[in-house]
Amino acid sequence: MITGTSGGLGAAFATALIAADYDVVGIARRDVTAADLGVPDDRYHHRQADLGDIDGIGELVSDLVATYGKPYGLINNSALGADGMLPTMHNSEIESMVAVNVTAPIILTKYAVRHMLSARRGRIINVSSVVAKTGYRGLAAYGATKASMEGFTRSLARDVGRRKITVNAIAPGFLATDMTSGLGDSNLERIEKRAALQRFASVDEVAASAVYLMSDAGAGVTGTVITVDAGGSA
Amino acid sequence: MTIRSAILEQLTELFEEDELDMPEFVDETVLLDTELDSLGFAVLVTRLDEELGFDPFSMMDEPVYPVTFKDFVDIYERFAPDEA
Repeated sequence: MITGTSGGLGAAFATALIAADYDVVGIARRDVTAADLGVPDDRYHHRQADLGDIDGIGELVSDLVATYGKPYGLINNSALGADGMLPTMHNSEIESMVAVNVTAPIILTKYAVRHMLSARRGRIINVSSVVAKTGYRGLAAYGATKASMEGFTRSLARDVGRRKITVNAIAPGFLATDMTSGLGDSNLERIEKRAALQRFASVDEVAASAVYLMSDAGAGVTGTVITVDAGGSA
Repeated sequence: MTIRSAILEQLTELFEEDELDMPEFVDETVLLDTELDSLGFAVLVTRLDEELGFDPFSMMDEPVYPVTFKDFVDIYERFAPDEA
């Protein structure tokens, strides 16, 4: 189960996991088809839903479980990336960002993890950002939401570890996706030059870390954050 | 099957799976005094949702935490859909 598969990173998670032989159910406000992702029809299923509708999340999960079965893994990827100086950001923008980036994934995880507890196995991956630790101008509210998800990751890992469920976060650096396009070319170039590898990490490189965490090889990793940023925060 | 017997059946399964000593569940049994921990009760609620088709803890407007077995059964009986 992956949220936000209409975006660049979400689509990369879906295609990488399907290539690794997982079936994927994507959730996004916009429709996404298997053809959009270039994957076989029977491997990708999509549900159009607005995760900002917090009260509808329990029913959404029940419906998905009834249709596709109990989830093995969940990637909380969907997020709003509004940037702006905090003093002039509209309250509604801050509230909707907290709802979509923090409240929705926590509630979605609440309902999804129940099925993993019952099955005594599972994987939860929360998509954070290097901004949770490094900070970046204009991303105070966004950074707060991402740091929240890292705290959530660590405590939930302790809660559910006894049932062989791992909970981790992936913190991508700046990626060339729609979400960062608003930062402007000069800013992006500056970030790129500052990275140890002198480039951005690619969405495929970030997705590869999710494949690892989902796999049997990742069974011993929980409560941590994997940073994939081409050394931008090194 | 009554709600009480459905709960007891799921509890029995959970105690067996976790290889715990199952006490006799009477009205006054304090849930967290049994060997089943809070995570175990989360699994119980999930399985009852699958079995009975409803989760009272998601339906209630204000959070309520049952202490005794009777509290737990009462909550399920109170929120049971008419046909259950």
